[in-house]
Amino acid sequence: MDLHILDHRLRVTSISKNGLVNFTHPLIKLIFLRNRTRCKFFSLTETPENYTVVLDEEGFKELRPSEHLQVESAIWLPLNVVSNGSASSSSQAVGVTKIAKSVIAPLAQQHVSVFMLSTYQTDFILVKEKDLSVVVSTLEEEFNIYKEEGGESVPVHCQDVSNAIQPTVHPVLIPKNQFCVMSLDPDTLPSIATTLIDVLFYSSRFPADLLFTSSSGELWRMVRIGGQPLGFDECGIVAQISQPLADSDISAYYISTFSFDHALVPEEDIVSVTDMLQHQRNEPATS
Amino acid sequence: MSGSKPDILWSPHHPDRYVICDSELGLYRIGPVGSAEAKAGTLPLSEETAATLLAINSDTPYMKCVAWYPKHEPECLLAVGQANGRVVLTSLGQSHNSACKELVGKEFVPKHARQCNTLAWNPVDSNLLAAGLDKHRADFSVLIWDISSKLSPETSVAAEKIRLSSVDLDSSTVVTKPLYELGQNDACLSLCWLLRDPKLLLAGMHRNLAIFDLRNTSQKTFVNTKAIQGVTVDPHFHDRVASFFEGQVAIWDLRKFEKPVLTLTEQPKPLTKVGWCGKLTKGHSNNDALIYYFVFWPCKCSFKMINVVVSLLCACIMLHGLHTVTIPMQVSHMKQCAEDMELKLQGNVQSVVYSGIKNIVKTTSGTTETRRCWSGSDRQTDVPRYHSEERCLALRLCGWISRGTDTDVENFLRSLEQEHEWERAAAVALFNLDIRRAIQILNKGAMAEKGDLNLNVVAMALSGYTDEKSSLWREMCSSLRLQLKNPYLCIMFAFLTSEPGAYDGVLYESSVAVRDRVAFACMFLNDAQLPRYIDRLTLEMKEAGNLEGILLTGLTKDGVDLMESYVDRTGDVQTASFCMLKVPRQITQKSALHAAVGFTFMFTGSYQPTFVFVLWQVFVSCNFCGKSISYSCSTIPHQGRGFSQYGVSGSPTKSKVTSCPGCRKPLPRCALCLMNMGTPVSNCQGTGKSDEKVDLTRENKLAQFNNWFTWCHNCRHGGHAGHMLSWFRDHTECPVSACTCKCMQLDTTGNLVPSDSS
Repeated sequence: MDLHILDHRLRVTSISKNGLVNFTHPLIKLIFLRNRTRCKFFSLTETPENYTVVLDEEGFKELRPSEHLQVESAIWLPLNVVSNGSASSSSQAVGVTKIAKSVIAPLAQQHVSVFMLSTYQTDFILVKEKDLSVVVSTLEEEFNIYKEEGGESVPVHCQDVSNAIQPTVHPVLIPKNQFCVMSLDPDTLPSIATTLIDVLFYSSRFPADLLFTSSSGELWRMVRIGGQPLGFDECGIVAQISQPLADSDISAYYISTFSFDHALVPEEDIVSVTDMLQHQRNEPATS
Repeated sequence: MSGSKPDILWSPHHPDRYVICDSELGLYRIGPVGSAEAKAGTLPLSEETAATLLAINSDTPYMKCVAWYPKHEPECLLAVGQANGRVVLTSLGQSHNSACKELVGKEFVPKHARQCNTLAWNPVDSNLLAAGLDKHRADFSVLIWDISSKLSPETSVAAEKIRLSSVDLDSSTVVTKPLYELGQNDACLSLCWLLRDPKLLLAGMHRNLAIFDLRNTSQKTFVNTKAIQGVTVDPHFHDRVASFFEGQVAIWDLRKFEKPVLTLTEQPKPLTKVGWCGKLTKGHSNNDALIYYFVFWPCKCSFKMINVVVSLLCACIMLHGLHTVTIPMQVSHMKQCAEDMELKLQGNVQSVVYSGIKNIVKTTSGTTETRRCWSGSDRQTDVPRYHSEERCLALRLCGWISRGTDTDVENFLRSLEQEHEWERAAAVALFNLDIRRAIQILNKGAMAEKGDLNLNVVAMALSGYTDEKSSLWREMCSSLRLQLKNPYLCIMFAFLTSEPGAYDGVLYESSVAVRDRVAFACMFLNDAQLPRYIDRLTLEMKEAGNLEGILLTGLTKDGVDLMESYVDRTGDVQTASFCMLKVPRQITQKSALHAAVGFTFMFTGSYQPTFVFVLWQVFVSCNFCGKSISYSCSTIPHQGRGFSQYGVSGSPTKSKVTSCPGCRKPLPRCALCLMNMGTPVSNCQGTGKSDEKVDLTRENKLAQFNNWFTWCHNCRHGGHAGHMLSWFRDHTECPVSACTCKCMQLDTTGNLVPSDSS
């Protein structure tokens, strides 16, 4: 297995619900006019609390400071796991579940806070730049680690050790919404731009039959992690969700936002996930 | 419209048909312009040809890529990859083939929808269709479908957790279970099946090229590279593969897959497709492969696109032609010379190895003169024909007679006939005094497909031959022959109408191949005339830098002069160095040393506009980025910058380049002066005070050569040629400390001593 440290330096920001109007221009530019910016990494997640924007430093320059904009001070680096063909294909589980044991748990043990971004194509594990040496030394045994510099992959080696801390268990919330995960051919972006702008900035209903790439009609349910905003320093949050999912071989998307973390699990598995997480919540209390 | 790039596909079986894939599929046939079927939908392609629209298919929306079924039947079956990853089989035009009807409309649906980037039919097991898809976090990107697979939709759908929408539940035509799944967690951008084994699939993945083996799908060979677009295997050399990235083409050898064996110079515009030239012209060796690439201009109009493609294909044929005339012919000459000479050597007559016809006929002795009859008639000719062992050898070198004792030209005539060189064959027959055979050949030529009917007229004129000095025939032929366009027809009549021994009309007809003229001279010129003629011709060849002259000079000093003049004229170092690899050690002339050392420098340059199409097959590549260090000037070769770019031309006033134009990393340093490559030699340490009397012209030449960069192929150390030469004058070991490589001794030419230095 290969672990690639991608060549992006990311900032995690949040735009408050009523402050979005101040950022319409830079956001439209970042989303739809990709050749107008030098931003290479951009993610926008809308939650009931706020909008979480993850973007690289070039893109960050586009966002004007404002009272509505909260910025996490650290620089984050995205990691990406590439199974170089040698991985066994027996497991049907996808996403966070697949890397739970190999990446998430070891990092949690080393007290490294991670910010997960699952996408249709792949999962990005964001770690703070200052934690990189710990990350490299932790994962070195399991992975060939490459750092991408200007498109070339350079192998990385490091020696460093850190110690472990037991994580706290956070409450979870499982709303009734159903979610659809889709991807979009970048070439078609212009043709649906108006609809997307409408959805993003003006209304909240996503029109049906828009994204032709959704052929397998899988539906997903969400698990929100955290009762209080989680902050960025605590480690082991992803691990406490992904570990039990991995044990039961359940696929999952995991999307961290500014305040809370969200895991998407297949609709048919939601009951077992609920039971499992409930059980996990009760266990520390009883023990 | 899915925004895909327009593409053109040539029919695998009909050279005149192609499919344009844009928002819809259009099948076109190329025909002569203005034919009866000129109707709507005809696109003019060039002055002579136009394309007629035969069929159009717009059944498949969101088309991303198309592949044409490789087998003859069903003929117009196409696989279309869509933006949602589905692969649909469709056809163009009417097909009454039941197998085709069964297949058309079949859909192959991946588990997770994403764009289908590429499709490839297995050329042997044509049921297998490989599809390359975009990345998905949990799915494979290379799916191999069996188009003949019968499916049980209920079970497979349930198993794969696929909930197809009601529209899609036309499940009799939907296949969801691929035969093989390869390339997890990665994107696949291009695919091709390897011809050396139909179970091997080469895939251009996101960051690497990977070879998958269907017999053991868990194993794969891969190499990290950026050049992963458009992988394609050479149809004539199954281990050779091309791929590209933006404007750069990489050629790979599968037997040595770690690095591209060749990186073609960067094109100013990004490429959209590369391919191997499928057809080789007659007499072409299989190893002389050719790659063409073309660039689509950012133009939506598909009509313009066709024009571009066609004209570039023409350019590629032209390029091909240049290759045929330059390199292989000369090489075959060289071989012929060497082999035949060695044969002669075994006969222990004299040492003529590598010497050309010039030397052979100089030593001619025991020439006999015969007057033969015109074959097929009793009439005595008054044409004397000369025979000797040397002349016979020369004829053999010219290719007129085959090896051995056989002096009959019949084999040669037959091979010429096969190649449709009717006029040349007739001329050769006539020079062998077989007028009947000549007429027969001309008749055959007139009858042949695309034959010239005028050949019959020439045959008629020929049959009227009379040896009477004052006949009307003779008078008319000698004047009218000048109007014949074909040089061989012209010299036939020149021969028949000239006095014995005065064959200037034949000997100085410059459009006739040198070997034919030389062969003629060897047959009909006497011992006094022959060396004179050969000398004069040799001089002419040397001055013109005409490589045909190698036949005359052989690999002697004359040959080296000729080669120098050829390189001066064309800049084609490759051909020259290839020929010069055979230069024997005995040649110790300074020029030969220069030629041999200089040519084996892996530099290449072409500063003649006529040669801009010749591919640069050998170049100096940067250690860091692998690109040619001369690529920046290669895109504008006609500006004549060639060598001067990196200072090897020796002019210190020229701008010097000491870093790779591709990645800006510094070029290697000279081991002696520690200056970067590209820096001219400031002062020649080698030429001390004592050498100053050397005449100025030689000095200049030397100075140019001193700037060339050279290195040992064993230890990879090197530097300015001048510094190296002077170093090895006193040392045997490599100038780099701690390196014990005896570089100069590894080089055979390094042991040579300039003849005038002693």
